[in-house]
Amino acid sequence: MNIPQKIFLILAIVTVLSACMEQPPKPQKITLRFLPFVGPQPLVFNEYRYSNPGGNGHFKIRDFQFYLSNIRLSAEQHVYQVPDSYHLVRFDNENGFYEINLTVNEPYAFSQITFGVGVDEKANATILNVGDLDPNSRMAWNWEAGYKFILFEGYLSHSEDTISLVYHIGFDENYTELSLPLQLADTPYESTFRVDILSLFNGQNPLDLAEIPSVKFDEEDAARIASGFEDLIQICDASCT
Amino acid sequence: MVLLIAGVLGIFILTTPRYDAPSPVETFNVPFVFGRFTIPTDNPLTKESIELGRRLFYDPRLSGTNQISCATCHQQALAFTDGLAGSVGVSGKPLAFNSMSLANLMWGPQRFFWDGRATSLEEQALLPIQHPDEMAQDLGLLVKELSRDETYIALFGIAFGGISNEAIAKALASFQRILISANSRYDQYLRGEISLTEEEELGRKLFMAHPDTKASLRGGNCIDCHSQFLTSGFTAQLDGFSNNGLDNDAALLAGLSEVTGKAEHRGFFKTPTLRNIAVTAPYMHDGRFNTLEEVLNHYNGGIQFSETLSPLIVEADNIDNHQGSTISLNLTEKEERAIISFLHTLTDEQFLSDIRFSDPFKEAPAK
Repeated sequence: MNIPQKIFLILAIVTVLSACMEQPPKPQKITLRFLPFVGPQPLVFNEYRYSNPGGNGHFKIRDFQFYLSNIRLSAEQHVYQVPDSYHLVRFDNENGFYEINLTVNEPYAFSQITFGVGVDEKANATILNVGDLDPNSRMAWNWEAGYKFILFEGYLSHSEDTISLVYHIGFDENYTELSLPLQLADTPYESTFRVDILSLFNGQNPLDLAEIPSVKFDEEDAARIASGFEDLIQICDASCT
Repeated sequence: MVLLIAGVLGIFILTTPRYDAPSPVETFNVPFVFGRFTIPTDNPLTKESIELGRRLFYDPRLSGTNQISCATCHQQALAFTDGLAGSVGVSGKPLAFNSMSLANLMWGPQRFFWDGRATSLEEQALLPIQHPDEMAQDLGLLVKELSRDETYIALFGIAFGGISNEAIAKALASFQRILISANSRYDQYLRGEISLTEEEELGRKLFMAHPDTKASLRGGNCIDCHSQFLTSGFTAQLDGFSNNGLDNDAALLAGLSEVTGKAEHRGFFKTPTLRNIAVTAPYMHDGRFNTLEEVLNHYNGGIQFSETLSPLIVEADNIDNHQGSTISLNLTEKEERAIISFLHTLTDEQFLSDIRFSDPFKEAPAK
């Protein structure tokens, strides 16, 4: 080996070593915040303050929760898949909103987010505890029927009557993927979304809750409510916060 | 000088007794379908803490009169209940509430008592001991009393480095955590070892279904509050508490609302596990129903409406477009019987007589 060859070899080793020793990228901490609304109004539980979308009377919401799954963040030519990504979104907490905090050990500038409303077919057929999936939870029907994707329970006050409202929407075919631009404010990295519960009743013509006060296992009714999933979550604009 | 050092060391050794380290319990068998559980990091399960907890659980010295132990109201053969509507402690005055079964406590709601006022088993453990109608014991006196017993001195020493209120609570919690019931016929069925009878299987299907006449699905609606494998209430947040229509607004008790301060929780009580339910009569938080038939009749026509009643109960009806004024599942008699048959598959004979959970004072003395 002559001298230039030796120098080259040493340089090559140094280069490889320095590549190996390169600092890992600083983790990106990203917060996804979900704020609940019923149409233009912020969600307040247990109060008859929302109009029946397709009929008379006002309704109150006693319980509302849903699964948001399989979050993927996209940058140019790169997709980061959040592991074990099954999130039970609920707002009956002190903050009144729901947050997902991600730590991404990748240096890409993510500009789009994709996720599913519901539980994907594969996970829906298992009884594994992954993320927030829990076959012993309120969101599980039973191991044959899988998970409720959305749980909405409340009452409609309708002329003299009080009608119970039960919308438990599941079924593989209703799993709906949404893609939205990821607008990360500089610091902290935070993106805020608006969850509009009313969209569930406006997927087709506005629903008269008195006419269909309960949807569980009827496939057609379930599909009707699920047709609103694609509008359930939007980017939060100025009117939202 | 040498003597002085020896003297100082002697005092040091005398005042700081040295105990063997407790032996951690690293593995125990629990069914996969029960799901996740957590054990507090500041109270890991150890062989000694469990043994100590078991001893305390059965020791009447825990009460002010030295006559009532935890096991007085939580008897193993009755899945750690007492067969009474309201338990009777040292005051002789029946309590307003029914003794809760103690099984699989690491799963389901991690709030204890019917109204959920304790947020851990450790917190729960000391309350009945001090309650004037239950065990009426002063904790300071209890620690003194136990400190005169050599077995306790040794066990507390190894498990917790000494006797204290906190150590008593931790030991009782540890013992209760290992009260795992997982060998009922339902468990054997889930493990694929046995088949259920036709009637039990009908009952199981009804248990696991919310009725939907539009989809021709009949259901007993049990699963809306009792999870499919654990049969307890749900774990997350306050999902394991519910108003199941026992009383109208005028008679409704505060329940969970006493703890949360929220009106929407009025009349909410903890959904109990149904494990061993056939041996834990009478039923409900106040023990108002003597038999499972009465319980089924409640859900099948006996529901009282109130402001906080679960809409799932109001809505669940096996008759299409039912216009009647009573809230009822409208199950047939055959279906009611089937659900009761299924409930009997939740009895775990092994649990009810497991020597590990029994009274250590009644064991044959060691040779």
